[in-house]
Amino acid sequence: MSELFPKWMNALPTLGAIAGGGAFVSVVTGTWYWATPDFWEVGYMPEQPGAGFNHQLHAGELGIDCRYCHTHVEESAHSNVPSVATCMGCHSENKLAGWEQHDVNWVRTAYAEDSSIEWRRVHLVPDYAHFPHHVHVAAGVSCYSCHGQIQGMPVVYQAESLSMGWCLDCHRNPEENLVPPDQVTNLIWVEQEWFSKDVKDREHAGLTPEALVDSLRYDPPEHCAACHY
Amino acid sequence: MSTIDQCPSTLSGDKKREIPADAPELNTIGGRKAWRSLEEFSGDASFRPFVEREFPAGASEMLGGEETRRTFLKLMGASAALAGAATLPGCRRPDHKILAYSADEPESVIPGKPLYFATSMPTGSGNGGFGVEGLLIETHSGRPTKIEGNPLHPTSRGKISVHSQSEILRLYDPDRLKNPVYKNPARGSLQATWEDFKAWWGDESGRHAADGGAGLAFIVDRVASPTMDAVRERVLATYPRATWVWWDAFDSERSAIEGSEIAFGRAQRPVYRLDRAKCVLSLDSNFISDGQDHLRNAREFSTTRRVEKKDDSMSRLYVAESTPTGTGSMADHRIALSPGRITSLAMLVAREILALVPGGSPVLRAAIEDVAVDTGDIEADTQLRRTAKIIADDLVASPDQDGGPTGSSVVIAGVRQPPVVHALAAAMNEALGAVGETVEYMDWDPVLTENPAERLASVAERIGSGGISTVVCVDTNPAYDAPGWMQMGAALKRAESVITLGVGPTETGTESTWQLNGAHFLEAWGDTRSADGTIAPIQPVIAPLFEPAMSGIEFLSFLAGEDRPDGYAIVKDAWGSGPLKGMSEARSSKAFRRALHDGVLEGTLVRPRRASVASGGIAAAVREMPQPTVARLERLDVVFTPGRLGDGRYANVGWLQELPQMGTSVTWDNPVIVSPRTADNLELLPLGVGNAEGNLDGMYTSRQMPQARIATLSVQGPDGETRTAEVPVWILPGMPDNVVHIQGGYGRSTAGLVGGNVGFDAFALIASNGFAGGASLVRSRGTETIASTQNHWSLEGRDSLVRAIDKKYWEKHAGKRKDKPDKIYGTERKNAPLTVAEQMGELAHTPDNVSAYDNPLNESDADAAAGSRYSKGPQWGMTIDLATCDGCGVCQIACQAENNIPIVGRAEVAKGREMSWIRVDRYFTGDDLNNPKEMLAQPVSCVHCENAPCEVVCPVNATVHGPEGTNNMAYNRCIGTRYCANNCPYKVRRFNFFDYAVTKYNGAFDFDELNDLVELPDQADFNKNFIPPRLREKLDEISHMRMNPNVTVRSRGVMEKCTYCIQRINAARQEVKVRGLWTSDDQVGPIPDGFMLSACQQACPSECIVFGDILDPESKVAKSRDSDRNYLLLGYLNTRPRTSYLMRVRNPNPRLGVYDEHDPLDHGGGSDKGHGSYDDQGGESHGRLPSFVDPIKKFGDDGYAMSLTVLS
Repeated sequence: MSELFPKWMNALPTLGAIAGGGAFVSVVTGTWYWATPDFWEVGYMPEQPGAGFNHQLHAGELGIDCRYCHTHVEESAHSNVPSVATCMGCHSENKLAGWEQHDVNWVRTAYAEDSSIEWRRVHLVPDYAHFPHHVHVAAGVSCYSCHGQIQGMPVVYQAESLSMGWCLDCHRNPEENLVPPDQVTNLIWVEQEWFSKDVKDREHAGLTPEALVDSLRYDPPEHCAACHY
Repeated sequence: MSTIDQCPSTLSGDKKREIPADAPELNTIGGRKAWRSLEEFSGDASFRPFVEREFPAGASEMLGGEETRRTFLKLMGASAALAGAATLPGCRRPDHKILAYSADEPESVIPGKPLYFATSMPTGSGNGGFGVEGLLIETHSGRPTKIEGNPLHPTSRGKISVHSQSEILRLYDPDRLKNPVYKNPARGSLQATWEDFKAWWGDESGRHAADGGAGLAFIVDRVASPTMDAVRERVLATYPRATWVWWDAFDSERSAIEGSEIAFGRAQRPVYRLDRAKCVLSLDSNFISDGQDHLRNAREFSTTRRVEKKDDSMSRLYVAESTPTGTGSMADHRIALSPGRITSLAMLVAREILALVPGGSPVLRAAIEDVAVDTGDIEADTQLRRTAKIIADDLVASPDQDGGPTGSSVVIAGVRQPPVVHALAAAMNEALGAVGETVEYMDWDPVLTENPAERLASVAERIGSGGISTVVCVDTNPAYDAPGWMQMGAALKRAESVITLGVGPTETGTESTWQLNGAHFLEAWGDTRSADGTIAPIQPVIAPLFEPAMSGIEFLSFLAGEDRPDGYAIVKDAWGSGPLKGMSEARSSKAFRRALHDGVLEGTLVRPRRASVASGGIAAAVREMPQPTVARLERLDVVFTPGRLGDGRYANVGWLQELPQMGTSVTWDNPVIVSPRTADNLELLPLGVGNAEGNLDGMYTSRQMPQARIATLSVQGPDGETRTAEVPVWILPGMPDNVVHIQGGYGRSTAGLVGGNVGFDAFALIASNGFAGGASLVRSRGTETIASTQNHWSLEGRDSLVRAIDKKYWEKHAGKRKDKPDKIYGTERKNAPLTVAEQMGELAHTPDNVSAYDNPLNESDADAAAGSRYSKGPQWGMTIDLATCDGCGVCQIACQAENNIPIVGRAEVAKGREMSWIRVDRYFTGDDLNNPKEMLAQPVSCVHCENAPCEVVCPVNATVHGPEGTNNMAYNRCIGTRYCANNCPYKVRRFNFFDYAVTKYNGAFDFDELNDLVELPDQADFNKNFIPPRLREKLDEISHMRMNPNVTVRSRGVMEKCTYCIQRINAARQEVKVRGLWTSDDQVGPIPDGFMLSACQQACPSECIVFGDILDPESKVAKSRDSDRNYLLLGYLNTRPRTSYLMRVRNPNPRLGVYDEHDPLDHGGGSDKGHGSYDDQGGESHGRLPSFVDPIKKFGDDGYAMSLTVLS
């Protein structure tokens, strides 16, 4: 009786197991790596209208505080984008030395026409998730924690994944992530003087991470309805 | 494939649990049956499967109506065909634009924070009575989203009615008029512009100016407004010979005005001070829910109904009414009588009072004695006399008082009573010494003095040949809401030209020469004058959505010759020459700005005063009055009220269409309502009902939707002609026999997508005075499905849901708590002994409730000090006071507005798919189906159980508990298994069977080319929800604008329910944290009481909902929970709800009958037998109603009891 199956087929179960295992591992790791906001969202950098707004120049080099433009971040859940009038506070004609050299005529046009500039949203949490800015700022969460080193971005891009797991990482370890409330918008200081140090070495004007957590009075919430309602 | 139904009760064969056919209902109140519907009343076996279901049969079926498997496949095919086009964009990241303000940034707008503006609203005829409400408008970045009551307005005091809340839907009505439409005699309707109209009017106006406006008639919505008065003067100065009609379809104060003229010689408006009242008699007056003062009446009267201690005094309310109302449900004695018999009762009571009181006018008494009130029915007459005597005795000697009148009683006459009854009420009040105490008088608002029906009838006559050539309708719809006998529609056709200005399309408008788009009051300037004289501004909170548009005052000023009318200037001018007259520029401008901020103009409130009656005039009127009608089967009395839709202006408001009507719980229709006995006599019982004794058989047909029979209703008009309509007939226990209740506002033909052709037009049948006699109702062919919610969300006959106790027994037991030394709730509950209300329910009868498991949540009561997870504030809780709830539905609409709750439509409601998070259960009690003893309302929404049954069954943890005691829904996690709803004993979870919130109401296919791809079913008669969502018309842009941005809009397949307004809780917590008010870890009440209110609490006119932090001992809710009246709904299930109810205490007059014939706490005649035994099912039913013990249930219970012995 001739053999129904050639001998090499004996290896099939083994090979199959290896291939299957390999496929399983690649699917899992592939999903793990690619199918996440970490991969898809981080680095999102839409093109802004006109010449855009250079945060590196304004917030970094010129040192304008975040709250100069995002005025309501301490009092409202929504951090507002400034009106064109805010731009014109500096950029109206004859206000700055060498004002003609700056390419901001498109802003002046919008101002003259009283038309809005269509900024494109970079940081987006889904409609079913609510993120209140004011509470985070009051608690001592630096802009840096979610938006990255804005003071070094000529064009703003998404620096963090803004995924739920990422939110919870912070809510579960407030000690590692809180900064002294008076330094919340001082992003360069926050990056270089605070987060660069080990948690136990951080100290500013008598404030330690431990003291910051103590001052919260209310543990960062981890239940669904804190954000989803 | 059409049935995807996993409900165990529909399983066939052996598996199905047998239910004994003779199973009686278990639900009792004070030993009497409590029931919501005839089916429940009968305890009919065929009804049992219905109550055991989570949703009615068919609710879970995918296809409704005539759709077939073939249709389904077609649609799926179409869906696939368009899949590429429609779905791929969904994969891309949404590209959001941020449009910040440009050069002009409005002051005070903080994106993300709502801004509130004070305004006011004339409720006009649309609110069941002429009135005014002061409002606060919540706006988000300039977009109004919610209407709330203005706390500074003396009438509203922060409270609100269902109608004014619904105005937001009228503002964002997709069917609103967007531009003028000109009806060319030759070419039909043409879209036009305001410039066209102005040019046309330019030609016309010269002619009218020449003859002094003799050919002009203005039909204007009657509003009390100083500015409108000034504009009227201006119009009549320009056209001195023009006719002006203040139109008000219901004219509900007519009798009262004429009555007060009889009583005082001049028109005087009674103002009630019900917080001082000890004994109140209402003669067909729904003073709690209708009329100019209803918000204040509800607020003040409710203060006399809350008793907390043994010797707290409490008012007594007698209500004689011709149709069940909210006021009737609050009554200690509710007497159902036809309107004519109520007139007789009024005379009998007046006669008795005048005889009892030393100063009673003998002239008047003699006059009343001369008038016959007898009907020939000796038994009924004797009964009425006896009742009148008892009530009169009680009114004279108020409860808890001895001797003569104390001035704490008051008699209130209602809209359907003739003027003479109002005059008699005034005479009675004077005899009772009530004037200056419980009733005061002031002048009627001047606009009310005209009789609109008379004026309009004369206009109707004079149109055409009589000289009127041009009719101008401002915010009115006379072609629809004028009484049928006026034949207004035909009259308007005779006019040369008709010009209408309005917000939505109207029957008058579509026939008009010019139909102009008006500004909604939220887009316009104006003002209002309340009944108490308070002047309040109307200020725009948004620019007109469809510009250009004019408000009523602007339009009339334009007609009067002002080229560019500006509402702001008109109001400023009117105030300058009116309320602010004589003030310096600076002071007047300051007062104006103050008024815009506060929403009221200071110093305009008029204090009521005393007035004395002229008995002679009343006596003469009594002698002259016609014999009161007696309703008979062949000569039925017709009672006509504004339904939920007012005079029809709210027809296109889905919230109000879907708000269950008082008593019947009917939605989306206005069947005529009769008593069960009358329906039986006329052979008009709803389909399948045997007779009025509750011998029901198969009322629920295969789809379990109630069917009403169609009948022909004939009513004789004042012109002698008989008008008829084909109407569905529905029964309501508590209706007086031989009385037909019909509601206006329905049957609009051109209201829009929501309100068109819903119900029948009652205005066509009847005059506007609210009452007619001599009608007939004859069965004709056919039936109609009625979408009534009364059987939906039934709690399966569980006992003691709504509790009430007579004052006598309350006094006996109040303050006595009973220790239940067992492990109820899993912990020793000694620190929380049973309250009086809890002793009345099952909790006093259940065995020790020991959990076999370690429940992680079992710490709160006993171990609070030890630091359990519920020991830190805030912990949210709510109490609902049944003593003051009249079932008005304001909470339901407030919740809908706050939480973006969609409407579902009539067909869906009939299937039990309504989405409202709060339902108002209405119970009747007693063994007489035709004449129930009581009608009780109980709002039920999610009670936020600490041991929530829903949470443990969710396979995906979509419903979970928060640290502050709220039971939360994570919508994005929900996969729609509906296990939670199945396991919820309170039936408060609502499932989005379809994309109700995201798709256009009744919208069809979005893609026209779809018809080319596949053959589609006829769109007219199939359930549009069945269209796959991505092919369906989306919500209109304008409808998006009303959504609360802080609440997720839920899509299909998602479960939802009351959240305790978690968005408000979170906002409050954030605010407290940001402001630094939260200063320590152990702070009691970190969120101060009253810092946040739930939407229902905020709106409730009688303040029966209290919400707050239960750990803060100073909070209202903590005090309320500590009341002896406090009980937990189904508390014995150990669910530990955070919402508790406060039992009602009734104050019946023993001479007229009591509710509790035995002590409701005295169980089993002093024997201890029964306590702790499961054989006793109902807490209050021992020995009086046979106990029904379900053998299967008992087996389980015995096993449970046995396991307890083993465990302990």
